[in-house]
Amino acid sequence: MKRHILCLTTRLTQNSLIKTLPLSRFLSSKEAIDRRYHLFMLEKKRQYDKVGRIEKIEVQYKGLPNECTLIMNKDISTPYDCARHLSQFHMETSALALIDNTIYWDMHRPLTENCTLELQSFTCADPHQVNRAFWRTCSFMLGACATVAFKDSVPVKLHSFPGPDIRSGSFIYDVDLPSLGNWQPTHQELVTLGAEYVKLARLNEPLERLEVGEDLALEMFVDNEHKTKQIPSIAKANGKVTLYKVGKHVDISKGPMISTTGQIGRVAVTAVHKLNGSEDNDANQLYRFQGVALPTGVTINHFAFSILTDRARKLNTARSPVQRAADCEESESIAMKA
Amino acid sequence: MNQAEVSKLVSKLRIKVPPKHRKLPNPKGPEGRLDKLRKTVTGLIKYERIELNYNRADEARQYAERLISEAIRHGDCHKPTMDTANFWLLEKELVHKLFKVLVPRFENSSVAYTKLYNAPKPQYARVLDKAVLELKGNPYPELGNKQTNNKYFIQNILLDAAKHEYRQAKYAEVANKIGQAGNETSPVNTENAEKLNEKPMSS
Repeated sequence: MKRHILCLTTRLTQNSLIKTLPLSRFLSSKEAIDRRYHLFMLEKKRQYDKVGRIEKIEVQYKGLPNECTLIMNKDISTPYDCARHLSQFHMETSALALIDNTIYWDMHRPLTENCTLELQSFTCADPHQVNRAFWRTCSFMLGACATVAFKDSVPVKLHSFPGPDIRSGSFIYDVDLPSLGNWQPTHQELVTLGAEYVKLARLNEPLERLEVGEDLALEMFVDNEHKTKQIPSIAKANGKVTLYKVGKHVDISKGPMISTTGQIGRVAVTAVHKLNGSEDNDANQLYRFQGVALPTGVTINHFAFSILTDRARKLNTARSPVQRAADCEESESIAMKA
Repeated sequence: MNQAEVSKLVSKLRIKVPPKHRKLPNPKGPEGRLDKLRKTVTGLIKYERIELNYNRADEARQYAERLISEAIRHGDCHKPTMDTANFWLLEKELVHKLFKVLVPRFENSSVAYTKLYNAPKPQYARVLDKAVLELKGNPYPELGNKQTNNKYFIQNILLDAAKHEYRQAKYAEVANKIGQAGNETSPVNTENAEKLNEKPMSS
C-alpha cells in the first residue's frame, strides 16, 4: 500500500497532473473494487427494499417439459427462479430468457409484469442473441480478469469494450495500463492471463444486473477517468446507467448477458495489442486484450480450436477508442454499444 | 407343412440378436445369470435410463425388448404374459407401469423400444466397456447432440468466419501472383490479369 502510494506520487509529480486529480484518485485498485462492490450491494438492497408490498404476477412458461403457468413475485422473481421451479437442467443450461417473444431478458433480472417466458440455451434453434450475450459476457469477464491479473504496483484502468462481433473471431477489452509504456506480453504471460480467466469463470458466479442513476455511477467509478467521461453520454437517454456485477467486479454494459460464468467453457486469452492514440488525448495509448471462448458443453477438436486461437491472435479491427483527436464522442458511443 | 410360422409364435425383435447368449459368469451359474438380468430389466423399466457394463446391458436389452413386445402383443389379460412380467419384474408395481404406461407409449412404434449407447471410459485405463441403456421416450434430456451442424451455433460461426478469412487471403495471394506475372511478360496480358483479379474477389 505504502509502495503503491509512493509509486502514484512519483507518477503524479512526473506528469504534473496534481491539479487535475482529486484526492479520491489515491484509491488503490483493490480498494476501488471493494468500494464499488459495496456501493453496488447497497444500491441493490435499496432497490429491493423499495419494492414494498409483494405483488404476484403470472408467468406463462413455454417449452420443455410442458407449458405451465407460474405465479411469481413482481420485481423480485427472475427467470432463473422460474427455471428453479422446472429442473436443475433448466437452471444450468439456460443462458437467456425471451419475454413475450420479443424482449431478451437476463436470467438474473427481476420480472416486472405478466408475461410469457421462454428459456434459451446455446443449443436452441436460433441462438443468435444468446451468442451475442455470450460474447459480450466474455468481453466483460476479460475486463475482470485484467483487473485481478496484475500486481498491485501496476494500475489498471479499464476503458471500454465494443459491441459483440463474433465473426471478427475474438472478443476484446481495451485497457489503459499507464505504468506500462511499451509492454509486449510473452507467451507465458498470455497463458497466465488465460489461467486467471479460467479461475474466475470456474467460480460460477451469477451475472447480476442493476440500473443506477448517473450520480451514483459517477461516484462508483470515481477512480477511473475513462469511465467517468463515458457515463454522462450513456446516461443521456434516460438518466440511467446499466451495471453488471460478477463476484466483486462491477462494470458498465448495456446487456443482456448470460446466466453464470460457469457457462463459459474452453477459453484462451490470445493476444494483447497496443493501440496508439493521438497526443492530445488523455489516454494516448491503450492495450487491446483479445481472447476466444466457447460455451460449456461444446466439444471441439484441438486442431479446430487452434485455428480459432491463431485467428484471434491477429489485431481485431474493431474501431479503436483512441484513434483520432476528436474521438471523445466516438469512444463514448462505443461504450454505449457495449 | 405342419410347421407353424415362427414369427406368429414369437414376436420378432427390432434389434440384432446374437446367435449365442452371454454366460455372464458368476458363482451361482445359469440361475445367477438370470438373477442379474432380472435386476437389470427391473432397473431399466423403473429408471428408464441406466449405466452399466456393456455385456450385461446388451444381454438385458434383448429380454426387455421381448418383454415389452409380448406385453403389446397380448395385453394384460393373457396369463402367460402376466407370468412372464411377474418373473422379470422384481418390483410388482412395475407390472402396472409396463401395461399402463409403456404399452400405450410403444403401441404404434415401428422401431426398437430401447436404445443402447456406448458410454465414455478413461483413456488409458483397463476397465470393462460401459454402456447406457434407456427406454425411448423417457423424460430425460437427450444424450447425443443431434444438431451439431446448425450453422448458427457459435463454434460454427467462428469456424465459418475463419474459413472465409483464409479464402480471402488465398484469393488475394493468387491475384497478386497473376498480376505480377502479367506485368513481367507483356503489357497485352495485363487486361487478362485484371479480369482474373476481379473474379476471385467477387466470388
